[in-house]
Amino acid sequence: MRLLLILGITLMLFGLTWALVLAPTELIQGPPQRIMYLHVPAVLTAYAALGIVFISSVLFLWRREARWDRLALAAAELGVLFVTMTLVTGSLWGRPVWGTWWTWDARLTTTLILWFIYVGYLIVRAWAPGERGARAAAVIGIVGVLDIPLIHWSAILLRTLHPQPTVFRPEGPALPASMLIPLAINLVAFLTLFLALLTLRVRQEDTLARLVEILEGGA
Amino acid sequence: MRQLLLLAGKDLRLEWRSREIVISMGLLALLLVVVLAAAGAGTVSAPAAMWVTYAFGATLGFTRTFAIERDHLTALLLAPVDRGLIYVAKGMANWFALTVVQAASLPLFGALFTESIWTHLPALALPLILGGLALSVVGTLFGALIAQTRLRETLLPILMLPVMLPALVAAVGATTGILDGQPLSAVGAQLQLLGAFDMLFAATGLLLFDVLMGE
Repeated sequence: MRLLLILGITLMLFGLTWALVLAPTELIQGPPQRIMYLHVPAVLTAYAALGIVFISSVLFLWRREARWDRLALAAAELGVLFVTMTLVTGSLWGRPVWGTWWTWDARLTTTLILWFIYVGYLIVRAWAPGERGARAAAVIGIVGVLDIPLIHWSAILLRTLHPQPTVFRPEGPALPASMLIPLAINLVAFLTLFLALLTLRVRQEDTLARLVEILEGGA
Repeated sequence: MRQLLLLAGKDLRLEWRSREIVISMGLLALLLVVVLAAAGAGTVSAPAAMWVTYAFGATLGFTRTFAIERDHLTALLLAPVDRGLIYVAKGMANWFALTVVQAASLPLFGALFTESIWTHLPALALPLILGGLALSVVGTLFGALIAQTRLRETLLPILMLPVMLPALVAAVGATTGILDGQPLSAVGAQLQLLGAFDMLFAATGLLLFDVLMGE
């Protein structure tokens, strides 16, 4: 875990320096384009986190093992953090490039609504402790992910403005290597840091559960 | 089927005797229509005002879904029926209450917002029914989810509204199209989305209700 943390921070410093200093400035967008090096890794990490929430919620309801619940909680906290980062960096980029802080684009809408759903998840965790709260939260964790395609679909019915994917697309990446490499480094850095923090939070929750068990056993 | 009717009938009979849910939900809905109209929402925003009203009415009424069982929730869960049936019965009772509220508030919408509600009523029934179902399937599942938590009245809207958003967008879209006098085919995509939402969350509710209520 400590190794992951050190590795994550080192990669992050390295990747950010590359992205902010060494990478070429984009011709049309200018310096604000460098926000991409934060925005894209943040959103991909957020989706990884929410995927973990979904899978571990299903496993928790199916197997009834508390460790899946603790994993879901840790992933949801980090998920909300990275979704927040995505929304803030996206908005900061949108102002100079699109001329607006916000627009009701399919991806923006989906991300914002996911933020609300998983903040609700965390509120249930805080207000409804114990087995019942854990089960209630697991249902929200599952419903939130199932809702993603529907939110996306409904927002397309509104309209769309977001740039089309330039990296993950069937024809291969359209981004030049001078930009793709720092982006990849930052992505790996984000994921490593996420894994480190996830492990840390799961361990904390494990310790807490064991402590509660000992205290209740002693009473 | 008989069990389902018994369960849903029990809730509706309780509601008929007390009229707690329909009156509180209906009054809030009428109030919201009046407030929105007085605040200056005009003909153009009629569909949005309509669905905001129904969504808030639903979040108020559906917190009572399992509260009406009072101390008998365990008895209900011990009933020798499939747990999924309890979910369906509760959903039917909720939907029925919401439909009454929708029907009761339509004249007020017609009077304060737009009279084209009356000329397009048959087509309008489609988004009203599908959207009402969407609110009911999600509201009933979340009603079960919050039943045993603190602060459930606060929690339900916070949890339900973001999940409901796609259904509300589609319902407002379909209602707008129909009130503009477009044929049903023009709002096909919105109606499909509503149908998909209903089916997805009805299935999710059926599957998850059992594990949610536990032993």
